[in-house]
Amino acid sequence: MTTIRRFCCNDLLRFTSVNLDHLTETFNMSFYMTYLARWPDYFHVAEGPGNRIMGYIMGKVEGQGESWHGHVTAVTVSPEYRRQQLAKKLMNLLEDISDKIDKAYFVDLFVRASNTPAINMYEKLGYVIYRRVLRYYSGEEDGLDMRKALSRDVEKKSMIPLKRPVTPDELEYD
Amino acid sequence: MASKFGLAGGIPERRVRPIWDAIDSRQFKNALKHSTALLAKYPTSPYALALKAVILERMGKSDDALSVSLNAKDLLYKNDSNLMDDLTLSTLQIVFQRLDHLDLATNCYDHACGKFPNNLELMMGLFNCHVREYSFVKQQQTAIKMYKLVGEERFLLWAVCSIQLQVLCGNGGEKLLFLAEGLLKKHVASHSLHEPEALIVYISILEQQAKYGDALEMLSKLGSLLMIEVDKLRMQGRLLARQGDFAAASKIYEKILQLSSDDWECFLHYLSCLLEDESSWCNGATDDPIHPKKIVDCKLLHLTDEEFDSRILDASNFVQKLQADTSNNFLRCPYLGNLEIERQKLLYGKNNDDELIESLMQYFSRFGHLACFTSDVEKFLLVLSPDKKTKFLEKLRGNSRSLSTEPIKALGQSITLLKIQELIGNMYKLPVVELESSAVQMLEMYLKNLPLSKDLDLQESMHGEELLSMACNVLVQLFCRTRNFGYFMEAIMVLEFGLTIRRYVWQYKILLVHLYSHLGALSLAYEWYKALDGKNILMETVSHHILPQMLVSPLWMDLNNLLIDYLKFMDEHFRESADLTFLAYRHRNYSKVIEFVQFKERLQHSNQYLMARVESPILQLKQNADNIEEEESVLESLKSGIHFLELSKEIGSKSLTFNEDWQSRPWWTPTPEKNYLLGPFEGISYCPKENLVEEREANVRRVVERKSLLPRMIYLSIQSASASLKENLKVNGSMSDKNISSELKHLLGQYAKMLGFSLSDAIEVAMGVSKGQKSLEIFGADMIDWLNFAVFFNAWNLNSHEVVQPNVDGSGPCTWDIVNSLLKKCILERIGSMESHICCPQSDLPSLVQLVTEPLAWHNLVMQCCVRSSLPSGKKKKKSGSTDQSPLSHRVRDSIQSICGLVEEVAKWLKHHINRSEDENLDIILSSVRRNGQDEGPGQIFQILETSNASINETQLGDRISQALKSWSPVSVARKIITGQRTVLDKFLGICESKIKSLQALQHQMAQV
Repeated sequence: MTTIRRFCCNDLLRFTSVNLDHLTETFNMSFYMTYLARWPDYFHVAEGPGNRIMGYIMGKVEGQGESWHGHVTAVTVSPEYRRQQLAKKLMNLLEDISDKIDKAYFVDLFVRASNTPAINMYEKLGYVIYRRVLRYYSGEEDGLDMRKALSRDVEKKSMIPLKRPVTPDELEYD
Repeated sequence: MASKFGLAGGIPERRVRPIWDAIDSRQFKNALKHSTALLAKYPTSPYALALKAVILERMGKSDDALSVSLNAKDLLYKNDSNLMDDLTLSTLQIVFQRLDHLDLATNCYDHACGKFPNNLELMMGLFNCHVREYSFVKQQQTAIKMYKLVGEERFLLWAVCSIQLQVLCGNGGEKLLFLAEGLLKKHVASHSLHEPEALIVYISILEQQAKYGDALEMLSKLGSLLMIEVDKLRMQGRLLARQGDFAAASKIYEKILQLSSDDWECFLHYLSCLLEDESSWCNGATDDPIHPKKIVDCKLLHLTDEEFDSRILDASNFVQKLQADTSNNFLRCPYLGNLEIERQKLLYGKNNDDELIESLMQYFSRFGHLACFTSDVEKFLLVLSPDKKTKFLEKLRGNSRSLSTEPIKALGQSITLLKIQELIGNMYKLPVVELESSAVQMLEMYLKNLPLSKDLDLQESMHGEELLSMACNVLVQLFCRTRNFGYFMEAIMVLEFGLTIRRYVWQYKILLVHLYSHLGALSLAYEWYKALDGKNILMETVSHHILPQMLVSPLWMDLNNLLIDYLKFMDEHFRESADLTFLAYRHRNYSKVIEFVQFKERLQHSNQYLMARVESPILQLKQNADNIEEEESVLESLKSGIHFLELSKEIGSKSLTFNEDWQSRPWWTPTPEKNYLLGPFEGISYCPKENLVEEREANVRRVVERKSLLPRMIYLSIQSASASLKENLKVNGSMSDKNISSELKHLLGQYAKMLGFSLSDAIEVAMGVSKGQKSLEIFGADMIDWLNFAVFFNAWNLNSHEVVQPNVDGSGPCTWDIVNSLLKKCILERIGSMESHICCPQSDLPSLVQLVTEPLAWHNLVMQCCVRSSLPSGKKKKKSGSTDQSPLSHRVRDSIQSICGLVEEVAKWLKHHINRSEDENLDIILSSVRRNGQDEGPGQIFQILETSNASINETQLGDRISQALKSWSPVSVARKIITGQRTVLDKFLGICESKIKSLQALQHQMAQV
């Protein structure tokens, strides 16, 4: 039961119960607002009955040439609405926008190597681990760069896993 | 900074690069060295000077930075041959902005644009300056110039946004929208539109003027710009409905539902259009976007009975079709749609409650196991009468024998049943025994189902976590009913137990914050609050859980951190918000431009922000009140409290926003003003929080109005007291006696008015109470304000020429005695009323803390001034005559003695509590929750908790949960509580001791006079 619409500033004042969950990071204001100012189509919120915030996704599109891609910066679902495939719905939306509107080659995301539940979910959604990024999270924990090719990448070249891990300064984009 | 390189003002890049590199790596001294070398070669280059200003500003030398940048600005203006390059200007802009001189940056760009009228880059810089200053009119003018120059769509839209901002956030009349429309129309006729956001803005301009037909026409013409089909349809549906074409609108919504059948909001729109319900389509200016109403009344005026029946039939058929078309088990909308149809029928008098209940039962059988079931159906329960609600609950209970065979689902259904019971809100009617067994049932269900979460990651929420929150709610209800403290302690234990099993459950943490606050273990409450990690924007929405308690606590350091972090966050947003708005302009996301400006305004009007702005200086004043010189420098930094006076005047008419997340507050304290645990039991077990904003708003205004007078009144009191013993106050060019006296009198009058009295009546009341002729109760909840009033009144009286003097025989009023006596009465009453046991929520402690740290502290300041003025010192010539033994000196001496004795009394009381042995306290806590052979009262829950780790089946529970269970220790929770309470008392004792020291020093000084 989901009305998915663009995220707006007032939602920042309404997502408290989603963000108090410890796996969900609350960024600073300029971070959210930069995403809203630049990629409003990549920032969507799901609302349930009673206008409750169920979850949201934020992302962007960037890159040059064949690395022009959509990126999932954060996706989160309130505990009350988990196990209902809402994250899948939000991810599909972002993939759709990357694919159809922006004609990107792939979508990628970073996840903590220890976050097994999330990794499993992304794998179910068709993402593969493209490479490991050493000490990506605050110089401590490794991150996994996961990717899913879109229709423009016919041969799915973008998701052939790299053989070796990379360091954060080797990353093309933040 | 790489983009800034180039040939700037004739300086080659290689000479500038080292400077920027040094700045970027924060080697400012090094940067300054390079800059000096550069200036030696280019002494009149505005760019070279601007760079120097950047460095100076970063080094914290604001004054130097300003003078160097002004220098650069002058050169820029003077030197005609100089290039007006954007690099120099933007560098200067950075400095001016950081120095809070946005106007100067604007002037520079304005000048440059005048000199080179056709330079687009400079004009964009100027536009940006106006964005930073929120000068919407000037933004518009600049954008129009750019549009005229190059004819680009984006500049037209910049102008249109600037117009819209004048209407929405400035004082531009709605007629301006017509102008914007005209501009767009003309452009579209010759160039069409190319950006989706341009179309969105165009339509919003038309919609704001209620030109729905034109908007629809534009949408059909240019709608292909909107890439997300559903977005386009939503817009179309809304416009049609607003236009009153409900038939067409409902068709559109039908279409959306066919594309995405789970869109609940769309379903509601569909139905309201079908039933021609206008109420959902009028412009809801009064709607609060942050706290949307749970239920919107509908007005179905137009339809005949037959029409209603046939439309409802259509809706039912459509819903059936949606249900049939999907194989997705997660889609709830088509099923909840049934409930909405039944609700509408009920409202229209077409069915009875039973049919709605039947639909609810069907919905339960399909989705009853989901955690969101209760919130899904809340709206529908609201239309049922209390009896019918109970009937529904009974039916659910009857159904509970046929729970799912799948354990997780069965657990979900059982939880739903309990949640519905909680939501219906008739728990307060249940007998105590039943409530007790309900709490026990919840805890047992939680424990029994722990194995279901065996394989879950620590970070994932476990099955049945809500049960412990609910058990806590029931236990607090029991405490409320019986006043048996054991239940309260059990409520704490249940949550602490839950956090031992999984430490990430924020719902438990919030409940504990409130329970510990109530218990007087505020430091512990603060620990749990910090564990919520409510940073950034969450500070605006969750601080209300702790801030009000902290404001009246002795935990000054923690309070200071809270206030500083919060104000820093808000102020930083206000500083950077305009730049982000410009980013939206640049990326052509025009609708976000409007949104950002409105959002900034919303935060600027936040009631909490206003409170924090007032409370933060008051905290500083409290912290420094034992030392008159330090207090004076605080007051100086506050410009003697002048600005706050303005605030006090304006607050009545200021619009306030309430951004707090009320939903997460526990039932017993739905707002900071309300705490059902304090008063007698009122028969409440669930409190909807929607209707509380008005009361809260009135309270905020009252508090801000009073508190913002304080800094000024303290300042004037100090002045007045100093003047009373000095011959001439105008030493430092400060105010004359007369002005002090009349201003303070005026403020006293205002203060009295806020308390509901005229000045003379208020004086009479204070005197009456001080003499025991009137009861203290007359002060009511305003006790602290009354005492402040008495303190400031005494200070005013010291220097006024309308002196209130005691009679010769001493029988009449002496203002010193009024203060001494009132403080004594109030403080001793507080001490006396607080029971000497740890198990008693120390509800009087905050007011005791306030008495000592506010009125008593301000009075101490007055006394310090008197003593200082009467002391012989190098600076202050000893006054000739008989001041030494003047009546005033006597009064001051007596007052110091009396107040010192009073604070010593408080300290004694505190020490008595602090020094009690931990074991004794532990005994008290544990015996409150142990049954000791009794059949009733608290203890069942605790017993279950205490024995929960007696027999752990590790294979069933898994390693993590088993380990967590093993580590559970109720005794350490009890110890933590004792330490928490003690920390608060310790801090308070520290404050008292500092006051005693200060007062003793005064006594000593007076002895020398």
